[in-house]
Amino acid sequence: MIEIKKLNKYYGDHHVLKDIDLSVDKGEVVVIIGPSGSGKSTLCRTVNRLETIDSGEILIEGEPLPEDGKDLAAIRSKIGMVFQSFNLFAHKTILENVTLAPVEVLHKSHAEAKEEAMRLLKRVGVDSQADKYPIQLSGGQQQRVAIARSLAMNPKVMLFDEPTSALDPEMINEVLDVMTELADDGMTMMIVTHEMNFAKQVSDRVVFMDDGRILEINTPEKFFSEPGTDRARDFLESIKN
Amino acid sequence: MNAGHVSIKDVLYEEPGPKLKKRIKAVTAMSTVLIILLFALMVHRFYITGQLDGKYWFFFGRLSTWRFLFRGLIGTVEVALTSGVLAFILGFILMTGRISGKKAAVKICTALIEFTRGVPTLLFVYFFFLVAPQFGLKLASFWKITLPVALSACGVVAEVLRSGVNAVPKGQREAALSLGMVERKVFLKIVFPQAFRYVIPALLSELVIVVKDTTFAYVVNFPDLMQNASVLISNYDAMLSVYLLAAVIYIIINYLLNKAAAYYAGHRKERSLL
Ligand SMILES: Nc1ncnc2c1ncn2[C@@H]1O[C@H](COP(=O)(O)OP(=O)(O)OP(=O)(O)O)[C@@H](O)[C@H]1O
Ligand SMILES: [Mg+2]
Repeated sequence: MIEIKKLNKYYGDHHVLKDIDLSVDKGEVVVIIGPSGSGKSTLCRTVNRLETIDSGEILIEGEPLPEDGKDLAAIRSKIGMVFQSFNLFAHKTILENVTLAPVEVLHKSHAEAKEEAMRLLKRVGVDSQADKYPIQLSGGQQQRVAIARSLAMNPKVMLFDEPTSALDPEMINEVLDVMTELADDGMTMMIVTHEMNFAKQVSDRVVFMDDGRILEINTPEKFFSEPGTDRARDFLESIKN
Repeated sequence: MNAGHVSIKDVLYEEPGPKLKKRIKAVTAMSTVLIILLFALMVHRFYITGQLDGKYWFFFGRLSTWRFLFRGLIGTVEVALTSGVLAFILGFILMTGRISGKKAAVKICTALIEFTRGVPTLLFVYFFFLVAPQFGLKLASFWKITLPVALSACGVVAEVLRSGVNAVPKGQREAALSLGMVERKVFLKIVFPQAFRYVIPALLSELVIVVKDTTFAYVVNFPDLMQNASVLISNYDAMLSVYLLAAVIYIIINYLLNKAAAYYAGHRKERSLL
């Protein structure tokens, strides 16, 4: 589904992604963890080219990621992305947030888009808020709307960049529950998170990054019980308390 | 964006405490007294200099006077609105050029913005009045005033719009891109509508300046409020009374525009949409 080969990225002189090789198969859930600044977000964002890359290759369903224009937009429409800060469109209602892209990009009729949107909003449990504006919702509700907005495009894969890091503790689970359901439904997902219990539960593989490098790719059972590197062990220790 | 978001406005216009409230009341009362005193002084001066004499005021009793002034007012409103719309369109184009990232476009638009912002409106007026006709550009007097006023405002409008665009959080653009929207659509559907809402008060303030600039209509002989006021003055040899009335009308127009800006800003905060 996603193949990343020998990927390198720099911010000026700062080498932030170093020889990244990673693939995500159809239906697989890959969780990326690692200390702050290790390049997790950057990696996630290169997959739909919100960040450009300096060398290497990214293939989506075997096709190289286009550099720009309509082709890039078309690929992006199939890759859902959920951000730490939700990024709901502030000037649109919840319903409009979900219907906008299906109407504008997939050229669905308003009626069809609305019906689908209401179904998705119901699925994530915020259908009663459809006519409100984002700022009138709690963080947890906003993030669930953001997930529904992505799902409305019928994505083949979804990227999550720390979807619960901006949430109050009591709202984290409502978002994780939605994500767990998605995983159970067979959605292909690449998730950056600090929620280790969640990672244990849903992931097929865990990717550990440090200083721009992937140090380890392992099953969650293995990774959390006997991590392969000292760095990973230290990291797991450090987040326990 | 977030629920706990504090806007600049909240910081600037924090709810005053009881002490500050008292001071505000005192200052308000003092300035009211001062204004009344000044007004009384003015009326007194008028009396002494004979400006209150009936011959300076009697024509305000005639319907034709008011009709004539009203026609001027309509002229002013027409010029101001047309200039405003033109300035908005030109400003929008300049702004998109300036943020396009295309080197040539950025340079040209930046230069045009600085040029139109720097040159006094009156010079633009003289250009369309004196220079343009020499190159065979013959315009109706309406356009001889509307075009220069619009030109003079468009650079400021461009910069106001640009500041609005820059104020839109970049996550908005990224979210739209990640849904598969192309850049142009992202800008028109997501970024610009929000930017526009941010800057409505600033745009209304610029419209106040446009209204004031329309008074250069006398140069090109366009019958706006100011021009018609001048006609009354020469007909009745009554400068002070007529100018006083004209000033009051301009103040009312601009007061309403400022009120609209303030109302909009407050209204937006209340509904807290952005
Ligand atoms: N736009 C940017 N310009 C310059 N440097 C950047 C930029 N974005 C990120 N970096 C740097 O790149 C490195 C990787 O950042 P990244 O955000 O991918 O880390 P992360 O693993 O997601 O960290 P966190 O857990 O804090 O989110 C960091 O050193 C960061 O300072
Ligand atoms: Mg990050």
